[in-house]
Amino acid sequence: MRVYFDNAASTRTDERVIEAMLPYFTEKYAIPTSQFSHSFGVEVSDAISLSRQTIASHVGASDAEEIIFTSSGTEANNLAIKGVAYANSNSGKHLITSQVEHLSVLESMRKLEQEGFEVTYLPVDSSGFIDIDKLKLSLRDDTILVSVQLANHETGTLQNFEEIANIVKGKGVLLHTDAAISYPYINISADRFPVDLMTISPHKFYGPKGIGILYVKKGTKITKLIDGGFNEFNIRAGSENVPGIVGAAKAVEIFDYKDVEKIHKLKGLLVRRIEQEISDVELNGSRNNALPQIANYTFSYIEGESVSLRLDFEGIAVTTGSACYSRNLQASYILIAMGKSHEQAHGSIRFSLSKYNTEEEINYTVDKLAEIVEDLRKLSPLGKE
Amino acid sequence: MYPKIIIEHFMHPKNVGRLENPSNIGTYETLSKAKAVFYFLIEDDIVKDIKYQVAGCPYAIAVGSILSEYAKGKRIFELAKINKKFLEKYFPVDEDKEECINLPLRAFLNGLSKI
Repeated sequence: MRVYFDNAASTRTDERVIEAMLPYFTEKYAIPTSQFSHSFGVEVSDAISLSRQTIASHVGASDAEEIIFTSSGTEANNLAIKGVAYANSNSGKHLITSQVEHLSVLESMRKLEQEGFEVTYLPVDSSGFIDIDKLKLSLRDDTILVSVQLANHETGTLQNFEEIANIVKGKGVLLHTDAAISYPYINISADRFPVDLMTISPHKFYGPKGIGILYVKKGTKITKLIDGGFNEFNIRAGSENVPGIVGAAKAVEIFDYKDVEKIHKLKGLLVRRIEQEISDVELNGSRNNALPQIANYTFSYIEGESVSLRLDFEGIAVTTGSACYSRNLQASYILIAMGKSHEQAHGSIRFSLSKYNTEEEINYTVDKLAEIVEDLRKLSPLGKE
Repeated sequence: MYPKIIIEHFMHPKNVGRLENPSNIGTYETLSKAKAVFYFLIEDDIVKDIKYQVAGCPYAIAVGSILSEYAKGKRIFELAKINKKFLEKYFPVDEDKEECINLPLRAFLNGLSKI
């Protein structure tokens, strides 16, 4: 049996998405820039407008022009953070984020620090919740942007975003959220939450890879990072990824909340069985305020890479620590920021589910997992003594 | 991704566990709290029996198994010479795996020196 529990990295593309994309490779292969020259360009331009409209209405944007297409969630985060910092540096040079953001946020912030901006990295508690008091204290007259994730990609912890948004907007500061892992599993929409910028990543919800979305509220000053033509309302140059855009809109359109319920149930079964059948396990992240598709566990006394490799031999795909770190065995910076020890971080395994997973897969996985954990613990000199 | 011999020893590690009455015990722990322990029964400078335990990555587990297999029946002065070069006869040792290999290797060597 082959079981894929790495959906927080990327999901299988829905057949309906692929079907929607296909004509834009072989029949409608012009780019919208050519709309002023020929009808090939017009039909593609229309398709992009329609896609933008669809996405805008689903994310609660007031105008389709608030939807900017990029190449990835990573690019959207870069554009949101650096773009806003450069465009607003006359008003101040201070930004706020958290210690548990995705690397595309953290590295953008570090780049800005090298360029003379100042960044506050908010700490989190043992469940991964951002310290709200620290946020309040960190907001200054020269703060130009707060960028905090809606939920964490490694633990699934869902921030108290409404409270954060109210505090930040109460101070009149621009707010960006990285919702790459959360949207649309969490029904955030720009008309209910006062966000100015929001990152969306379609391949996390059965859309294609190679396309990212940045919601930019009208009137937000933003500097373009990729120079060239006047595409994307002069915010992001480059020929549009037409199939990707059409596929992204399809993925947004067909996303079904019944599938979220299904995933939620599957996660419930996974959590119940792991906690009942395997001793010395600890759930990393919040139990009650978390994404439905992510469960992260530390299995004490053993190391995550050994668990994931053994699982891989059983056909089961999970990640340890963080996907980007599994190669050099560095413990996850997210779990460390949550105050976990190096042992806890090294022993962590992330299971991330999708609508394509089944109960049978969960049961198969926990059966194998219990055996593997027992085997590796026999091999381990650590333990309750 | 992993050399074949690493996978073989990782999936089926030899000499796992503890000895009841070891003459020597060697341990090593990394800063990140990965740990290896070797239990030796040494008589007349010869390793009569050996077992080991590792809380670590697949490389650390596999190298522990390789070392334990090699050591049985060998003289300790021969074994004390074992280093990274010796392991390179079994598989290519990448720079980023040195730490994982050091974990069981140091525990092994520590055990030999504590007579």
